[in-house]
Amino acid sequence: MRKLRTLWFRLLEAASRGRSESELSNEIAFHIQMRKEENIRAGMEPGEALRAARLRFGSVESVRESYRDQRGLPWIETTWADARYAVRMLRKSPGFTAVAVTMLALGIGINAAVFAIANAVLFKGFPFVYRNDRILYITTSSKGVYYPDFEDWRTQAESFAGMAIVRGVPRTLSGQGDAVETYFTAEISTDAFEVLGVRPILGRDFTPADGKPGAAPVLILRHDLWEQRFGKDPAIIGQTVRLNGIPTTVIGVMPQGFAFPEGQFLWTPPMPSPEALRRDTGYARFVFGRMADGATIQSARTEMEAIGRRLASAYPRTNRGVVPVVKNFNEFFIGENATALYKALWGAVGFVLLIACANLANLLLGRAAGRSREISIRAALGAGQWRIIRQLLVESLMLSSLGGIFGWWIAGAGVRVYALSQSSLDWTTHVLGYTMDYRVFVYIVAISVGTGILFGLAPAINLAKLDVNTALKSGGGAAGGTRVKRFSALLVAAEGAIVVVLLAGAGVMIRSFLNVSTADVGVKTANILTSSLNISLEKYPTAEAWIAFYESLEARLQTLPGVESAAIAEGGPSEAVPGSRYELAGDPVADERRTVPALVVDAGYFRTLGASMISGREFNDFDRASGIPVGIVNQRFASRNWPGENPIGKRLRLFRGEPDPAKGKPRNPHDDWLTVVGVVSNIVQNDPTLQNFDPLVYLPYRQRPGPYMFVFVRTRVPPGSLGNAFRRAAQAIDSDARVSVVMPLEERLHQVSSFAFQRNMSALLLVFAAIALLLATVGLYAVVAHSVSRRTREIGVRMAMGAASSDVFQLVLRQGIPPVGAGLAIGLAASFAVNRLLKAELVQVSPNDPTALFTASALLVWSATLGCLIPARRAMRVDPAVALRHE
Amino acid sequence: MRERTDVWQGTLSLMVLKTLQVLGPQHGYGIARRIEQTSEDLLSINDGTLYPVLLKLEQEGSIAAEWGVSDNNRKARFYRITNRGKKQLAREEHEWQQANAIIGRFARLRKDQA
Repeated sequence: MRKLRTLWFRLLEAASRGRSESELSNEIAFHIQMRKEENIRAGMEPGEALRAARLRFGSVESVRESYRDQRGLPWIETTWADARYAVRMLRKSPGFTAVAVTMLALGIGINAAVFAIANAVLFKGFPFVYRNDRILYITTSSKGVYYPDFEDWRTQAESFAGMAIVRGVPRTLSGQGDAVETYFTAEISTDAFEVLGVRPILGRDFTPADGKPGAAPVLILRHDLWEQRFGKDPAIIGQTVRLNGIPTTVIGVMPQGFAFPEGQFLWTPPMPSPEALRRDTGYARFVFGRMADGATIQSARTEMEAIGRRLASAYPRTNRGVVPVVKNFNEFFIGENATALYKALWGAVGFVLLIACANLANLLLGRAAGRSREISIRAALGAGQWRIIRQLLVESLMLSSLGGIFGWWIAGAGVRVYALSQSSLDWTTHVLGYTMDYRVFVYIVAISVGTGILFGLAPAINLAKLDVNTALKSGGGAAGGTRVKRFSALLVAAEGAIVVVLLAGAGVMIRSFLNVSTADVGVKTANILTSSLNISLEKYPTAEAWIAFYESLEARLQTLPGVESAAIAEGGPSEAVPGSRYELAGDPVADERRTVPALVVDAGYFRTLGASMISGREFNDFDRASGIPVGIVNQRFASRNWPGENPIGKRLRLFRGEPDPAKGKPRNPHDDWLTVVGVVSNIVQNDPTLQNFDPLVYLPYRQRPGPYMFVFVRTRVPPGSLGNAFRRAAQAIDSDARVSVVMPLEERLHQVSSFAFQRNMSALLLVFAAIALLLATVGLYAVVAHSVSRRTREIGVRMAMGAASSDVFQLVLRQGIPPVGAGLAIGLAASFAVNRLLKAELVQVSPNDPTALFTASALLVWSATLGCLIPARRAMRVDPAVALRHE
Repeated sequence: MRERTDVWQGTLSLMVLKTLQVLGPQHGYGIARRIEQTSEDLLSINDGTLYPVLLKLEQEGSIAAEWGVSDNNRKARFYRITNRGKKQLAREEHEWQQANAIIGRFARLRKDQA
């Protein structure tokens, strides 16, 4: 208590230093004056009286000194003095300061950038959501969540304080501005925002009444949409727009940056169709809930699994084997592999920062030699070891703080570039805030201080342990000698190891990316425009109507200037196509679990995409409902099932819908026997890595019509330029048609494949590895160059004694290369272990790819040689006469 | 060297507190004079030594200081004892008397009593 009070007093006094100094002077003057008068009264001469008074008082200076020590906070003041001294030191050697700050800024900057990204993806969760860590996401082991199951979960689960269902659907918006635009929207439980703890910034939230059957349709807007389409007009609340043609009232606007869960543009209460209320029709992708107080993810899992078992026994026909799967944000949206990757990246930049630290430690050790005299004088004048260490640490902390400040800018720029490169490809950019928030700030402060201590401590301790006598006697002075040299070599080796690990990681990732980006998907991807279309089932209730719509669309597209041909299909190359169980005619021992993906395409599909017919014919206009059911298989399917035989005329059947004897439902007509009429070249399907040709069956559109199709247009002009013409053509036929993802096929392939992920990952790793290599090379150069300049005299003597310049060259290399070699060996061993982390993301390349490992090693050796070469050349040019006069 | 100063400061602060308790608010010179008189000039220390002790006591809250006017109309800094200081004084006086008593007993110790 008393200590605390004293501290408070001292703090106050530290703030008002000048005043108390002058007060003390006044007090002392008064004291001496009084004593003098007393002496005069005792009969002294005035002059003598003053002298006696002063004598009696003692040394005024020493009183002041002890006052000063006692007052204020000498600790802070000396640190302040250290700081000013450090600024002078750094300004005296601007070259060193610039190099050091640049290295630190790079190291700290990319560290903070990766932290900001990893933090957004791994830890922060959705913006605005209250306590993200309490929100859990629930799906089932089967396709999705069925609406009645959700209702049962919600009423039964006690681990959840609230539970809501979400279903993403594309819908068109019209009215209030004439553009008809398709947006990704969500049907969401009326209490969903309440569960999340987010409120609209304008208007109101949904109420339970909004979700009742027959309620007036309402919607809540995302901030971006409100801004873009309605010009941030607050009067939009209460107005009516048309959603899929249905008049709907806008009741609210969510806060800026809220796009839960996957970048949706507007939200409506769920309006499950009567069909969706059945237990056998998949409804939504997932359900989320807020854990009740005291519940944990484990308890929630246990309870949900128990509820799943209860439902399974209550509704065995639909719910047998359906297990609710409870996940947290990370497990649900990011996944284990990506999480590991982000951590790997974080590790990589951590290593880069370590290299920067090692470099600086080396640089400081080098400078230590030059400063040993200064430090010795300080020590001789009575500075304690701790005092010297502190002064040197203040210097290194000042460097790292400067690095941190510039690093903040670098990180901000890095995050912006990353968000841009991801934005068109990854929904997380819209939903998760990649921002430099206070967490990043705290992180950057922490690592700045941490690095300052890390790289400053060893050189500081080394200098503080200096033997004053020897250092003062020998001019340049060897600070630490062999100990320092060994430590430097150790740092160089560590840098080499880290560089190899990073380069090898970047190498395999780049090879993997090249495999994806240069993959042959089996079609001519250039000059194709793709788009996806949805037509309203109210307007087009029958298969005939769908066919008519798409036929007139194709006819119209073909009249556009620059268009060669047009085609439709259920999905484009590489996209996911569900598999069907199949049976071959005359093959009685059909494997029950054997499936093949079947894709519905129209007559022009293969021609338009540039696939070639191997044998037989394409689909034609006679392959219609009234004709015999036909199919085309790809080469892979033909060679797997009918090796060495002619597949044309063979028959197979697909089970696209299971017969249901219990309900007396007739066999699905789609289960009819198909006759193979053609064999087509392989096209990649179902594989985001674009590597594998799987067996495939194609079905003619006229025999398997559907309302939602992809359209492909082969063009003679750059396909991107036809986007608007395409939209106009579609809307000329039906103004309510939902046209989305109009883009060149090449772009679409990048979007649906792992292209972007691979590209960004390898680019990032490459940048980090390049920075690491650069830093390590500079570091090695600094060590070798410093040692050469220290050994100028020795080299001069050697040359005077007849050493050839090649001997000198070897002498220098012997200093630099062995630690690098050791680092290389360690790094190669380590990269075997580290690269395994990447394995899940690597496409057609081994984690220990010899090319990558070899290139990494070669790059390191090459740069190390370069780092040694410059000082070596300088050493070779040493003039013995000059060198001997040196010092 | 430092230990001896500490001892002095310890005893000096006791003297300062006692002086202030008995005589009421005093300036630094007044305190110095009183201590001289009380110790009958047996204690010869530099007047300057007093000031760091005053500062320490002030920081600990045992005394408080403010500027006032002296008997001969000069601006002077007056110190007075606080309640906290009175408690501290009582405690320290007690400790000193105890210590004195113990030391006294040892001083009177003779060989035959051992």
